[in-house]
Amino acid sequence: MAELTLDSITKIFTDDDGSDIVAVDDVNVDIPDGEFLVLVGPSGCGKSTTLRMIAGLETITEGEIRLGGERINEQPPADRDIAMVFQSYALYPHMTVKQNMSFGLEESTEMPDEKISEVVTETATMMGIEDLLDRKPSELSGGQQQRVALGRAIVRDPEVFLMDEPLSNLDAKLRSTMRTELQRLQEDLGVTTVYVTHDQTEAMTMSDRIAILNDGVLQQVGTPLECYHEPNNEFVAGFIGEPSMNFFEMAVEDDQLVTEQFTYPISESVRSEVDGHERVMLGIRPSAISVEVGAMPADDHDFATVVDVVEPMGDEENVYLAFGDERGDSVETFVATVGGMQRLESGQSVVAHIPESAIHLFDTDDGTALKNRDLEDLDERDPHLQ
Amino acid sequence: MSPDRPRQTDSGILGRSWSRIGLYAFLLGMVVFYLIPIETGLATSIKRAGDFTGRNPYLPPLPWDATLASWSEGFFSLLDGLINSLVLVVPATILSGLLGSMAAYGLTTISWRGQVGIYSLFVAGIFIPYQAVLVPLTVFWYNIVPIQDWWLESVANGISVFGLFEIPSTFMLLGWELGFQPYHWQLISLIITHTAYGIPICALLFRAHYKKLPDEMVEAARLDGASIRRIYRRIILPLSVPMFAVVFIYQFTQIWNDLLFALILVQNNEAAVVTQQLVDLGASQEGVDYPLRMAGAFIAALPTLLVYVVFGDKFAKGVAA
Repeated sequence: MAELTLDSITKIFTDDDGSDIVAVDDVNVDIPDGEFLVLVGPSGCGKSTTLRMIAGLETITEGEIRLGGERINEQPPADRDIAMVFQSYALYPHMTVKQNMSFGLEESTEMPDEKISEVVTETATMMGIEDLLDRKPSELSGGQQQRVALGRAIVRDPEVFLMDEPLSNLDAKLRSTMRTELQRLQEDLGVTTVYVTHDQTEAMTMSDRIAILNDGVLQQVGTPLECYHEPNNEFVAGFIGEPSMNFFEMAVEDDQLVTEQFTYPISESVRSEVDGHERVMLGIRPSAISVEVGAMPADDHDFATVVDVVEPMGDEENVYLAFGDERGDSVETFVATVGGMQRLESGQSVVAHIPESAIHLFDTDDGTALKNRDLEDLDERDPHLQ
Repeated sequence: MSPDRPRQTDSGILGRSWSRIGLYAFLLGMVVFYLIPIETGLATSIKRAGDFTGRNPYLPPLPWDATLASWSEGFFSLLDGLINSLVLVVPATILSGLLGSMAAYGLTTISWRGQVGIYSLFVAGIFIPYQAVLVPLTVFWYNIVPIQDWWLESVANGISVFGLFEIPSTFMLLGWELGFQPYHWQLISLIITHTAYGIPICALLFRAHYKKLPDEMVEAARLDGASIRRIYRRIILPLSVPMFAVVFIYQFTQIWNDLLFALILVQNNEAAVVTQQLVDLGASQEGVDYPLRMAGAFIAALPTLLVYVVFGDKFAKGVAA
C-alpha cells in the first residue's frame, strides 16, 4: 500500500501536422494510502490520459508521478505494481477465467503454480465467480466479465488500482449494484484506487474524494459534498449535481441583481462579495428552490412562475418553470426539484422561492466562485465539511 | 411464418416456376462450364495413350478401354519430385507464416519510430515481380552466398574427418532417419528465397488481423507484467490461428506451384521439385503422352487440394474474421 502523488503532470500530444494538443495541464493531486479517488469530467477532458500516465501506458511530458514517494515516470507498466480495470474489460478471449486471472501472477511473480491456483480460487470465491473458472469470456454475461476483470486486478495484490469507466458497459440496475459492491470491496482491501468516470453520480456516491477535470485542467479536488456545496467555480457547480444547477447571468445594480426576467434583491453581506463586479452568474440548485401552489409572492425572494414541463421521478419531480406567465419553446426555463406527492401540472401558476442563503455567485469572466451557499445548517450533519 | 404465405406463391406459380427453371438452367450451365476442363482432364487421364487421338476428348473412354496405367506411371515418375516439393514447401510455408506474423506484430501492436516507413517497404515487397529478381537471385545464391557449396563442403569434411565435424554428420544421420536425402540440402536456398518472398504478403494479412485486436487487451497484458515476447507468445499467437490457416493455404499453393525460382535455383536433377518434373513428364521423341501428362497434373495438384480440405474450416473463419 502506498500513497500516489501526481506532481504538476502535463501531457502534450503532437498532432500529425505538428501542432500540439495539451491533454492534461499541470495537474496536482495527492492521493493518500487507501483512498478512493474519482477522476471525473466530460469526455475528452484528459481524465483517461491521466490514468494511462499513472499506468505507464502514456509517457509523461512534464511533471512527476510518485508512488510511495518514489518517482515512477520511467518505470515500464510491468514494474509499477499497478493493476488496471478497463472499460472493455480487456479479457484474453482465448483463455478461461482461471487462465485470465492467473496470467498476471505467472508473468510478474515467481509464485509456484499451486500457489497461483490457490490465490485465484480464493479471489474468485470472494467475487462470487468460482463456478465460472473454466469458462471462456465469450460465455459470460457483461456483469460476470466485469467481475473477472476486477478479480484479475485483485489477485495481483497491487499498490494501486486504476479503473477506467469499469461500469459504463453495464445496464443501469447492475451498475448500481456493482457500484456498492466495488465500494465495499475497495474498503475491505484498502488499496489506493483511482477511478475514472464521466458519470457524476458514480463520482458522488463512490468516492472518498473527487477530482474534477475540464479541458485538461484540474478544477477542484474535494469530498463529494465539498464539491457539491462549495464548488470552486461555475464548471464544478454545473457538473456536479443532477439535475444541474440553474444559472442566470445578472447585472449588479445597487442592492439587487437584475435580468430581463426577474430582479433578485441581495443583502448587505452578499453585496460586499460582488463588489467591483458589474455582472455575476447566479447559481441555484434545483433542490434549494421551493415551489408553492396557490400562494401569492410573499417576500422579495418569491417569484411568480408558470409550470412548463413536469418530469415525475416517483419520489420526487423535476419541474421546469418559466418566469411570468408565458411558456413555450422560446421561453427560458429553470428547474426545481419538489416532492413526488406534490402534484403539479403543466400550465399551472406557482410561486418559486429562491432563498438567499442557498444561492451561489460566480464571476462571469473566469467562473470563479464569489459566494457559495451558507452551510451553517449542514455542518453538524456532515463531518466531511470543514 | 404467416399462414397466407403459401397462397402468395400459388397465385404466381406459373411465372415463378419459369424464372426458376431459367435460373436452374443457367446454374447448370455454369457448373458444366467450370467442370468441363476437369472432366476432360480426368477422362483423358484414364485413356490409353494410343486411344487419345481419334476420340472425342470430352467423352470418357469406353469401360473396357479405361486404364489407370497413366496414374500409376505418373505417380512413380513424380514421386521424387513430390517429396522434394514437400521438403521445400513445408518449411518455407511455416517460416514465412511465422516470420510474417512476427513482423506484423512488431509493425502493428508495438509502436516505435519509423515503423510506417518500414511497413511501406514490406508493402512494396509484395509487388516485386519474380522475373525482376531472377538475375540478382542467381548471382546471390551462386556467387555471393553459395550456400549449397558450403553445405556440400562441410558435409564432405564432416564425413571424411570423423569426430572433428560432428555437427554436420549428426544432422546427416538425423536427416536419413527422417527420410531426407543429402541432395535435399540443395533446396535450402529455395526455401530461404520463398520464405523471404512470402513474408510481405503474410505480414500484410496478419497486420489486418492484428489491427482488429483491441489495444486494451495488449495493454492489460503489459500491466500484467508480460514482456513483448511473452505477449506475442501467449496472447497474439493463439489468437492468430484462423489467420495462420489462411496464410498456410495461400503460401502452400504459391510455393508448391512455383516453377520459375525452382528452375534457376535447383539445377541438380535429383532435387528437382514436382513442377520441374511435370515439365518433362510424358514428353518424348515419339510425341506427347497426353493421358500421362493429365494424370501427372492431377497428382501434382493433389497436395494443394488436401491442404485446403485440412485447413478449410479454419480458412473460412480466417477470411471472415
